[in-house]
Amino acid sequence: MNDTALQYLLAAVLVLPLLGALAALLPPPPGLRGRDPDQAVLRHGVTVTGAVLVLTVVLAAGFDRGHPGRMQATTDVDWIPALRIHLHLGVDGISLPLVVLTALLTFLCALYSYFTMPAGPTPKAFVALLLLLEGGTLASFAVLDLMLFFLAFETVLVPMYFLIARWGGGDRERSALRFIVYTLLGSVIMLLGLLLVGLKAHTFDMVALASDNGSHLSHTTQLVAALAIGIGLAVKTPMWPLHSWLPDAHTAAPTAGSVLLAGVLLKMGTYGLVRIVLPVTPEGIHTFAPYLAAFAVVGIVYGSLACLQLARQGNGGDLKRLVAYSSVGHMGFVLLGIASLTRTGVNGALFANIAHGLITGLLFFLVGALKDRYGTGDLDQLAGRTGAALYGRAPRLGGLLALAAVASLGLPGLAGFWGEMLAMFGSFKPGAGLDRGAYVTFTAVAAFGTLLTAGYLLTVVRRVCMGDRDTATAEPALADVRGYEFAAWTPLAALTVLAGLWPAALLGLTDPAVRSLLGGS
Amino acid sequence: MTLTASLAALVPALPFLGAAFGLLLGRRAPGFVRPLAVLPALTSLVLAALVAARQGPGQTTDAAHRLTPTGSVPIDLALSIDGFGAVIAVLVALVATCVQIYSVSYLRDDPRYPSYAAVVNLFTAAMLLVVYTGDLMVLLVGWEVMGICSYFLVGHYWETEAARAASVKAFLVTKLGDVPFLIGVFALAADAHSFRIGDITTTATGGGLHHPTVDALLLLAGVAGKSAQFPLHTWLPDAMAGPTPVSALIHAATMVAAGIYLVARLLPVFTASAAALAVLAAMSAVTMIGSGLAALAQDDIKRVLAYSTIGQLGYMAGALAVGNRDAAMFHLLSHGVFKALLFLSAGVVIHASGTNSLTAMSRMGGLARRVPDAMWTMAIGLAALAAIPPLSGFFSKESVLRAAEHAAAGDTLHVPSAVGWTVLVAGMLTALLTGGYATRLFLLAFRGSGPEAPDHGRQPLPMTGVLWVLAVPAVAFGGLTYRRLPDWLDKVPLGPTLTTAVLGTGLSLVGVLVVLGAWRAVSEARRQVPMGAVVENADADVEPALVEAEAIATHTRVYGDIAAADDPGDPGRLLLGPLHAAAGHGFRLDAAYHTLFVRPVLAAAGLVRFLDRDVVETWVKGAAGAPNLLGAAVRKAQTGNVQTYLSALLAGAVVLAVLVAVGS
Amino acid sequence: MHLVYPAVLASLLFAVGLYGVLARRNAILVLMSVELMLNAVNLDLVAFDRWLSDSLHSGQALTLFTITIAAAEIGLGLAIVLLVYRNRGTADIDRVTGLADPGRPLGGDSGGAPDSDPATDTPDDEKAEATA
Repeated sequence: MNDTALQYLLAAVLVLPLLGALAALLPPPPGLRGRDPDQAVLRHGVTVTGAVLVLTVVLAAGFDRGHPGRMQATTDVDWIPALRIHLHLGVDGISLPLVVLTALLTFLCALYSYFTMPAGPTPKAFVALLLLLEGGTLASFAVLDLMLFFLAFETVLVPMYFLIARWGGGDRERSALRFIVYTLLGSVIMLLGLLLVGLKAHTFDMVALASDNGSHLSHTTQLVAALAIGIGLAVKTPMWPLHSWLPDAHTAAPTAGSVLLAGVLLKMGTYGLVRIVLPVTPEGIHTFAPYLAAFAVVGIVYGSLACLQLARQGNGGDLKRLVAYSSVGHMGFVLLGIASLTRTGVNGALFANIAHGLITGLLFFLVGALKDRYGTGDLDQLAGRTGAALYGRAPRLGGLLALAAVASLGLPGLAGFWGEMLAMFGSFKPGAGLDRGAYVTFTAVAAFGTLLTAGYLLTVVRRVCMGDRDTATAEPALADVRGYEFAAWTPLAALTVLAGLWPAALLGLTDPAVRSLLGGS
Repeated sequence: MTLTASLAALVPALPFLGAAFGLLLGRRAPGFVRPLAVLPALTSLVLAALVAARQGPGQTTDAAHRLTPTGSVPIDLALSIDGFGAVIAVLVALVATCVQIYSVSYLRDDPRYPSYAAVVNLFTAAMLLVVYTGDLMVLLVGWEVMGICSYFLVGHYWETEAARAASVKAFLVTKLGDVPFLIGVFALAADAHSFRIGDITTTATGGGLHHPTVDALLLLAGVAGKSAQFPLHTWLPDAMAGPTPVSALIHAATMVAAGIYLVARLLPVFTASAAALAVLAAMSAVTMIGSGLAALAQDDIKRVLAYSTIGQLGYMAGALAVGNRDAAMFHLLSHGVFKALLFLSAGVVIHASGTNSLTAMSRMGGLARRVPDAMWTMAIGLAALAAIPPLSGFFSKESVLRAAEHAAAGDTLHVPSAVGWTVLVAGMLTALLTGGYATRLFLLAFRGSGPEAPDHGRQPLPMTGVLWVLAVPAVAFGGLTYRRLPDWLDKVPLGPTLTTAVLGTGLSLVGVLVVLGAWRAVSEARRQVPMGAVVENADADVEPALVEAEAIATHTRVYGDIAAADDPGDPGRLLLGPLHAAAGHGFRLDAAYHTLFVRPVLAAAGLVRFLDRDVVETWVKGAAGAPNLLGAAVRKAQTGNVQTYLSALLAGAVVLAVLVAVGS
Repeated sequence: MHLVYPAVLASLLFAVGLYGVLARRNAILVLMSVELMLNAVNLDLVAFDRWLSDSLHSGQALTLFTITIAAAEIGLGLAIVLLVYRNRGTADIDRVTGLADPGRPLGGDSGGAPDSDPATDTPDDEKAEATA
């Protein structure tokens, strides 16, 4: 497909959600009234997100797979000449999978919400906020200008705040406030770093800065900028110890909010690290990489242990909180891969990014469905003394939960394995100039973390899916996977298996791009 | 790709497809479930035999396709079939087919049969992948998929607490071994710049490995977990909480053999380091003797076989420790057949007697009369286990002892003679113990006396037919192939030598006679002390799996323990004396692991909760509190008094004026 | 006349006015002091305009502006003081601190509650009025 068509496709992908958000606020036109205004606007949400998904798939199909290292579908327009800010859009092998993932997850959320709207104010606002969120996240993956990246980064915070605060569960206002203020604090620090880079290098363009590879920035500038931008992105990732906003936000958020928060928003942090910090401030990231790796592996073990504590009998652990802490652990692997500063490690980090989006998105859908059926997410109440026996009461749901748990623990053959394995392999033999002994220790600790992950996930499966015969045949019958749930979850499960069996689909795209990103250093 | 390679690619692919279809369509098309279960395994068997026949002895088949680039060392979907792989694949496919046919009857009314059969197919595909592949990372994929299939299959009776606990334990203990294993794979690939097994072995023989001992020990951790060697063997006895066909496939013939197979394929890595061989020998010696003693104390018929498997795997590990992978392979093949046979006959026995407890069976009359097929095939299997000539177990065990004797005499390159002596002495002692517990099993199960056992229906033909199918190679395989097998493998002679044959068989017969004597001695006690309970079922023709599940679920309630029963009529109890209680509980290793591993991890989890709730939270609250305090301080200036504000304004104006005056 | 005479007078007037604004308690007196300051400035403006011989007479023009604004401002100011007196019963500036911040940490009531209590104010108001 020629570049102009791709260009317009990408622009359409970014603009369509924003227009859809505006349109959702207007009353429905005569032909599309539907059963009632609520249903009409929810249907509008499904339509717009579906259209965006189709467009991104077409974009992916038209993408030149032979040159994934090159920016494609580019648009470069002068926007604010006085500040040297360009409207520069484009995708390459690193951002294309993320764009498609975002579109897919948002569509599935819209579809799910069409049938099960979360309790709260009008669906009109819900759909508008969802579409605004989609626009912001797609933009953050497709823009190639530092200031635009910051804009997109911030744009997603407000809709997510309202989604949690208005449509969420218990303690939603406090959790939403904590989420937005904590992330904003990080973003402000990140802004300082971005401004520093832009002013010293006299350009905000990511592609130009990446090809410069930090040659126009002094060593001190690179250090300070890497630190500032890194802290901002670390809050978003989230990196231990800046993670405590995540469990509360997830526990309070509605299902669609959780899926998008875990599946898409968390990716923005690590994407920023790969897109901005790695190529633009190579000396900075080189200095901080060992510390990043250390925090990453602490996060892996810490997240797993926190989950283990929540999964044990008598601790009153909430399932969503547990999955939130598991996200901290999984993103630890992504950070470890990035901190290894090797092609293998960064490839692994990007793969783990996508895999986490698929798997944890599926997990949150499943846990949300469980919460709807049981009325609570508290593991002790769900499981009772011997277990909830979901295999007997709702076999398909139990089977899917087992599949998601097994994928989450990084079983080879499913998506989670390749990312974690490559991140550890990259860390085993880190980039030039990094302390080999420290990194081998980090690898060992991370590998131990996978054992702990298996421990708590299998404990959860045991308490939720297995149980006594009496519990398995208890009345009233629990609803098994419904049609719309099946439609919403199957793509994620199928992609998890596909990515596990055919990793080259992703690695073939990211490897050349990573090579050119790390090429100079 | 040659025709052989294409056929070989189909061998793991067909069961995988069968599994995929079974999982997706099982509930919707119940008529297809049985063919979907049996046909892929059967076809794989035919194809594997064809591949072996086409390849012939001494040849290898290689084919490779780039699976994915990684940025440094690429991963290939490689096929690398040498004699070892060709022969093992036939064993795996054979046992898998037998198990699938057996399961058709064993789980005939089970509502979860479709998913069960699919997972068994997936397991078969994974094991065949491990056997055929030439890439270490792809092998790891198959390795771990087997682990998760084992988890799901052991957890098949998830309504019982025993199965729930055992499935998690099996996965976690093997995963504990797999963590160092992964790092070992990384180390090998980093040194050899390739994940291909051929490249790694070439690097190893060429001395290109920087830390061969560390690499070998890391790999050994994974092997110990998967092949249930000391100290990571504790999961295997508990995994008997799964259905019997599962035990036959996974815990006798295939998954546990994967570790042995891996060491055999990567033997140059191990022989590059004498320390690693010594550790392997020590591991195998402890495993052999410990498991033999434990098997004498078990009450559950399947647990006896489980400990027996651990011990026989110890034999194979011992053969590898003395650098002879041919002997290990020979014993693997022979053991795979007769152990599968033993497990499957045990399944028939459990169904017929309504209990899995030897104590109850020994107080039951007429069992042998009711299941003659099982009795005879079990007798054959036990005789093969005890290495009674001319059954195949005799030839394979002798090949191991011969290899150990060879190394003890110092005639084996790379292998210190101390290693050889360890394996030889341990092997001899274990032969004694094996003869003992095999006899105990047979006598207690089939020579019981007392009231008639309850009738649970006819033994179906698929179950008994399969037993005889497996009995044939259990009898004939060893004798017929020990001369020709070396051509397929490394051309090391495998025939028995006089000294070891006489000593080994002699010790085994001593064990048999001692137990026979002890059994006679306690038969009076057995008659006087009634013990045991059996599963009663009103249904005349009840599904065997249900009987087994019930037996497992009630064992603890009846005997006070999942493993041992304090039976005065047990010859094992008489012989072990003070060791009986410890041996019955696996020498209290579970408790030791609980204190060493589980308690610290749980304590750490509690610590993390404290840290998160109190320490990190304090920082976050502090970060919110600092602006609060600052705000409170600034608010103090908001007195509401206009004159204060004006005074401040005046002071500021004065300062500005002074600055301007001074500046200009 | 030399410039120094009106300049000094204006400064003295300004100083007196400043003292009154900052130190007197009665609101009306404060307003009167503000007037004093404004008139001092007016005097300065006229004097300097004359001394500089500005052709536009900008100083004197500004004086007219100032007088007008002062008149408007005093009208408003007196009206407010009157209303405050009617509502609070006092014209004492030290008492009318309703716009103060309560000083409680964030998370309490967001707006500041008026902290003047009519019961305690009244006897002091008597006193304030007497001193005024």
